[in-house]
Amino acid sequence: MRLREHISSVFPGRRRIRRRPFFTALLFALHVSTACATPYIPARDAQVLAELPAGARHAGAPSRQLTANRLDIALPLAQFYISRARATGDLRFLGYAEAVLAPWMSQPAVVPQVLVLHATILQSRHSFDASLIELDRALKMRPDDAQSWLTRATVLRVLGRYAEALTSCEHLAVAADPAIATLCRQSVLGLMGQLTSAYAAIAALSPKEMPPEARAWRYSELGEMAERLADDAAAEHWLREGLALAPQDFYMRLAYADLLLRQQRAAEALQLLAGYESMEPMLLRVAIAHRQLQDGASVQAEALLSSAFDVEQRRSDVVHRREQARFLLDVDQQPAAALAAAEENWKVQREPDDILILLRSAQAAHQAPAAAPALQFLQTTGLEDSRLAPYRDAT
Amino acid sequence: MNVPRCIVAALMSCSFSAAAHAHIASSGFLVANVAGADVTGSIEIAVLDVELAVGVDANRDNQITWRELSDGAPQLARYLSEHLAFTAQDGGLGVACRLSFQAMQVNDRVDGSYAWLPFTAQCPLAVRDLGIDYSVMAGLDPSHRGLLTLTAGRVVQTAVLGGAAEHATFSVFAPSRWRAFVDYFHAGIWHIWSGIDHLLFLLSLLLPAVLLRNGGRWEPVPEARPALISIFKVVTAFTLAHSLTLTLAALDIVRLPSRLTESIIAASIIVAALNNIFPLVTESRARIAFAFGLLHGFGFASVLADMGLPHGARLISLLAFNVGIETGQMAVVLAVMPIIYALRAGAFYRRAVMPWGSAAIAALALVWLVQRAVLPG
Repeated sequence: MRLREHISSVFPGRRRIRRRPFFTALLFALHVSTACATPYIPARDAQVLAELPAGARHAGAPSRQLTANRLDIALPLAQFYISRARATGDLRFLGYAEAVLAPWMSQPAVVPQVLVLHATILQSRHSFDASLIELDRALKMRPDDAQSWLTRATVLRVLGRYAEALTSCEHLAVAADPAIATLCRQSVLGLMGQLTSAYAAIAALSPKEMPPEARAWRYSELGEMAERLADDAAAEHWLREGLALAPQDFYMRLAYADLLLRQQRAAEALQLLAGYESMEPMLLRVAIAHRQLQDGASVQAEALLSSAFDVEQRRSDVVHRREQARFLLDVDQQPAAALAAAEENWKVQREPDDILILLRSAQAAHQAPAAAPALQFLQTTGLEDSRLAPYRDAT
Repeated sequence: MNVPRCIVAALMSCSFSAAAHAHIASSGFLVANVAGADVTGSIEIAVLDVELAVGVDANRDNQITWRELSDGAPQLARYLSEHLAFTAQDGGLGVACRLSFQAMQVNDRVDGSYAWLPFTAQCPLAVRDLGIDYSVMAGLDPSHRGLLTLTAGRVVQTAVLGGAAEHATFSVFAPSRWRAFVDYFHAGIWHIWSGIDHLLFLLSLLLPAVLLRNGGRWEPVPEARPALISIFKVVTAFTLAHSLTLTLAALDIVRLPSRLTESIIAASIIVAALNNIFPLVTESRARIAFAFGLLHGFGFASVLADMGLPHGARLISLLAFNVGIETGQMAVVLAVMPIIYALRAGAFYRRAVMPWGSAAIAALALVWLVQRAVLPG
């Protein structure tokens, strides 16, 4: 599904694009948005056009010189931008972090800390393979760096390469807090056919003895595991606890919103998502919630989402492919287009939610063979997820 | 499909309220139109990026007002002239175009407000290949990309600028409509001459045009006039029918699977040929020509679909292709007509050419039918 035509010539070649209503509408939307994107002169001089987030102010040459010359300033600044990107979902911050690291990346001998931060940026953009390359470079220089092993385990886990992820967790056991190593290992084992025992092992970890950042991670794992075990009550309990501890945790909020939407509790989901609408994954849940409520209020969310997906599509950004597939399936009700997006997404990442969207769109599009790669993956890995059961048995 | 919602969404997408924004990576929007030696268009840069690039928050209150932005317009124009350049490429050489910006306005997009700057770039020579250097936000945000929409004549191209490749070249040579007409006219003629199935169908209908059916026997027409009228009717009916379906299919209004049309085209030849041996329809062969002509039109359309219609010259190319088909067809009719008219009185024509010629055509078409309808692929 590419709407781009890079080259036009007298004979544009075989063009057998099946006309899909969605694309017709999208083309229409593009046409309209270019036709009616009318620039204007604001009526008042004092009209505010933008609020600057922290760290987005113009930096003069001297301060840029400073980050280019002083690693002790560049590293925390890049780290700051990455954490802003995490907290706000604003991808601009990843670009700012990259700009701070750029002079350090171009040096003949790149410092491992720079590589790890760069790997984190790539991971946040879902450039997983590129991220692994940077991590392996960093680990060659610093084989006992806990952060590198943890990021590596996370990336491999998202890619569905569980055995390798487990190996990374083993390295962590030497270098990091034992609770973190256990979390790492058990969360991967929970995807390898040992969900019940992994769930028990993580539940048995005492939060008091954990570093604070690991506590939220524990709740997040427990919540998602309980959901996969079909214990929605427990899942809700863990996610609520976790969000009370770490309200800014993006993944937990999404997981809780999905749980509520699955139980048709759209009003509660909207409450949970209020104030987070500028993040596309959150906004997607808002649109789905309004659809469930049939209150006709989803129009603005849907317009924003389709414009944002359109720009990302033009840029070839992959970061929201899963959301795009779900948008096409649950909001736009275009099963064939959703399946195409879910298949594209499957090339990028293989988390339980990616399996779910692929199976659901294959079923909705009546394309059973399209589900085969996901079913094969479930078979090989032994991954258990109660949410997949209806689609698993049907095919 | 919930079309009304999409339309509403599309209409809304031109005015996002200040409260509702999505986060997307930094993007600039570059629109350029090339006409002769002039490039005109607009560039849009997010207000946040304007601040990052040139610093417009004069009172440092972390809010950018319209006043602050418009005061910063000269700095922005200066910044952009250092990070955006157009060149008219001629062979390997690029000649710089003189870029100037006009008064700034504001545009609201999905992720916030943008500074919108119209520009003109005057090149020293007519642009055939346009070079664009785009390094906006370089060093400040490596993930920034420029989303280009480039129009030349009626040809629209889109591309992503920036990142590792700061320079890109675009061919903006728009095929002239006359060139498109000539190309597609040739393609039409060539198709009818090389596509033997359409010719055989026509021939099957032409063979009996110089004869009359009388008491179960074929008799030669006494004069040219009825033969000419008969041929005129058949050819006109065939032309009208296939022009109609060719147009509908080429404009994507109607579409049939090609395997089906190809099979029915083969069947139509069998029917027309057998009708010469065992005549059922003798008076109104024009109706057969019309009915099957509709299907032959779909056959022509699939050829055209493989070629594609050029952007900006769709209708003229479609017309040219059709006129080419007619021309090729008329050439065949004009070549065949005198021969069969001369031969019509002889027994050879009525006893050999009519039955055995038609039988051979039917047999060949039967082979095609089996190939197209039964064999896989």
